[in-house]
Amino acid sequence: MSKKILIITTNHSSYPGADAVGQARMGYSADTYVIRVPDPVMFPEDFYLNAFAKGIAGIIIMSSGSDCPYEGAYERLSKRVARVYEKMKAKGIAANRLKLTTICTVCRAAFLKEISEMEKAVAAV
Amino acid sequence: MDEKITEASSKDNYRQEPKVGVYICHCGGNISDIIDVKAVAAALAKYPGVAVAREYAFMCSSNGQDLIAEDIKNLGINRTVVAACSPSLHELTFRNVLQRAGVNPYLHEHINIREQASWVHKADHAGATAKAIKLAQAGVEKVKRKDPLNAIRVAAEPRVAVIGGGVAGMRAALSAAGKGLEAVIIEKAPRLGGKLLELGKMYPSGEEGTAIAGKLEALVRAESKISVHTGVDIDFVGGFVGNFKINFKNSDGTSSQVKAGAIIMATGYQHYKPAQGEFGYGESANVVTLPEFISLMKNSPAGRLEYSGKEIKSLALIHCVGSRQVEGIHKPQADGKINDYCSRVCCSSALYAANQVKDRYPGVRIYDVYRDIRTYGMQHETYYDKASKDGVLFMRHNEADQPVIVSDRTGHTVKVKDVLTWGEELEVKADLIVLVTGMMPSDISLIKSQMKMPTGADRFLQEVHLKLRPVELANSGVFIAGTAQYPMDVPEAMAAAGTAAAKAAILLAEPDIPLEPFVAVVDEHKCTGCGLCPAECSYDGALMMAEKNGKKVAVVNPALCKGCGACVAVCPVRAINVAGWTLDQFDAMVEAIAKE
Repeated sequence: MSKKILIITTNHSSYPGADAVGQARMGYSADTYVIRVPDPVMFPEDFYLNAFAKGIAGIIIMSSGSDCPYEGAYERLSKRVARVYEKMKAKGIAANRLKLTTICTVCRAAFLKEISEMEKAVAAV
Repeated sequence: MDEKITEASSKDNYRQEPKVGVYICHCGGNISDIIDVKAVAAALAKYPGVAVAREYAFMCSSNGQDLIAEDIKNLGINRTVVAACSPSLHELTFRNVLQRAGVNPYLHEHINIREQASWVHKADHAGATAKAIKLAQAGVEKVKRKDPLNAIRVAAEPRVAVIGGGVAGMRAALSAAGKGLEAVIIEKAPRLGGKLLELGKMYPSGEEGTAIAGKLEALVRAESKISVHTGVDIDFVGGFVGNFKINFKNSDGTSSQVKAGAIIMATGYQHYKPAQGEFGYGESANVVTLPEFISLMKNSPAGRLEYSGKEIKSLALIHCVGSRQVEGIHKPQADGKINDYCSRVCCSSALYAANQVKDRYPGVRIYDVYRDIRTYGMQHETYYDKASKDGVLFMRHNEADQPVIVSDRTGHTVKVKDVLTWGEELEVKADLIVLVTGMMPSDISLIKSQMKMPTGADRFLQEVHLKLRPVELANSGVFIAGTAQYPMDVPEAMAAAGTAAAKAAILLAEPDIPLEPFVAVVDEHKCTGCGLCPAECSYDGALMMAEKNGKKVAVVNPALCKGCGACVAVCPVRAINVAGWTLDQFDAMVEAIAKE
């Protein structure tokens, strides 16, 4: 059974960042699935828990961080993810299976580093 | 300037049973060399809701687009999934296909199996194929749950800001004005002209750089649609397509702001400055760069080539200084990087200069020391032919054996391991060493960081696609002109500037720019009026509670909503969603991806 990693990216920032990795022909695992959203702040806590329940091994939220074009969205997202961690803990899901990070349109090395770290985290799942 | 107007919908397809057409692009081998596109199409053909699945060499070609249009017409396809390159390149192309065929353009889902699959999983064909199947299936799940949407239009400032007043900036402003657009040139130097002001005779016309700059400036000054700010220091660039703001300090210390619907980056280049001691530069007398030599020629008396009051009877041109650098051979610069790119124009420039020397000072001996001669422009090879005919002596070295300059009181000795004579070690004496330096991007780090503008490995601004979108940055509404993009000569910079201006004029042709209709929408039947969502909204008046049909519900003002989705996460009954990006769609996508 493959250890699938869900990568949530933003239209403005991390999705073009993922494209930049491809344009540079840098390689990473095929067990990675990028979805794009205006901003991950839209997802309620249960979205993440349901994804784990469905069989997703790890989730990386690649937000736009302080470059987020939406006012207050990153702060709200950070607080929400903190609540997700609490719920994960209650359910016995390892905290390192979810990562909130910031990836810009040109953050190729950081993109690969996050995948590499998540691969290590989900290896134990 | 952020008022939004909702347009009428094209076609209402949401009441129809979804009939999804799936199209897998080969991208001429970019995808199909890695991903088994036939296997992807076969897997998708059997997937629930899919009426047809096809693979084709180039889905973006007119034949590829016709395939979709014919399926819409003949098979009643009412939703499409195209698995191809990044949606930044062709999502709009395929939406337009749907629109032309009478289907709401937003009933399309674009799946990226090139930048995010075939190009990054080259060593794992089976894994890349399995991933492409999963992504396409997730796309089908998403598109099945999509509703038709109406476009939103944003009022735009009818003006283009041109950052940089060199040849590209002036040409871009003139082209934009010629298309009826107001243009504002913002230049940091005290006068217009940029690097042209430093250059002597220019190929191919033989005109002086200052003369070309003067002609362009006269045209700019005479054009009422162009305003010029020189000697300014930009301290802020921000905003978004249609509504950019550029703040700068004027030379008198006052501050100004330019509002523009589009930006053209014509920020130019800087000459590579050789490191201290590189081929003797900065340490030995009579070692100069090509731009310095061009200035020297301008000031030398007729019949006698002089440097520091002494006659120059021989000179050696050393090519590729600061270009095509090789790790381990060339010393990195202060930022730890080397210039491994070819600066393209220096070979022609060097030979053009050598020919001028031979014309004006026929007695001067010229040695041309090169790795490769790349006179790539139209008829530039004639400069090489003329130099050869006029007695310029060419010596060629390979990458590992860089020429060595030994200086003493008698002058310079250039030592070259010459591959044209099968590796013979040649030594020539030269009164002057001319380092043919390359181009580097101007320092625009402040603008780049504020706007998050992408740069390539060479640090020049990077276009979205060299062939398909050659003057556009990933930042919507920002275009590139001239050497801000890569080394080019004046005719190329002018051509690029014209293209950038045309793109800006197209963008701003109408008073408002069409934007994606992705704002929050409320399902009034589901909404319980709990009032949790307005507290999550950061935009005053975008989301509030109101009475509608005797019921308290959340109401969105689409003119003010930015579509971030902060409100979506807190709705306990999923009554509010961002149009086109609903939670149900994402749940279904994740389900499809997770399924073994």
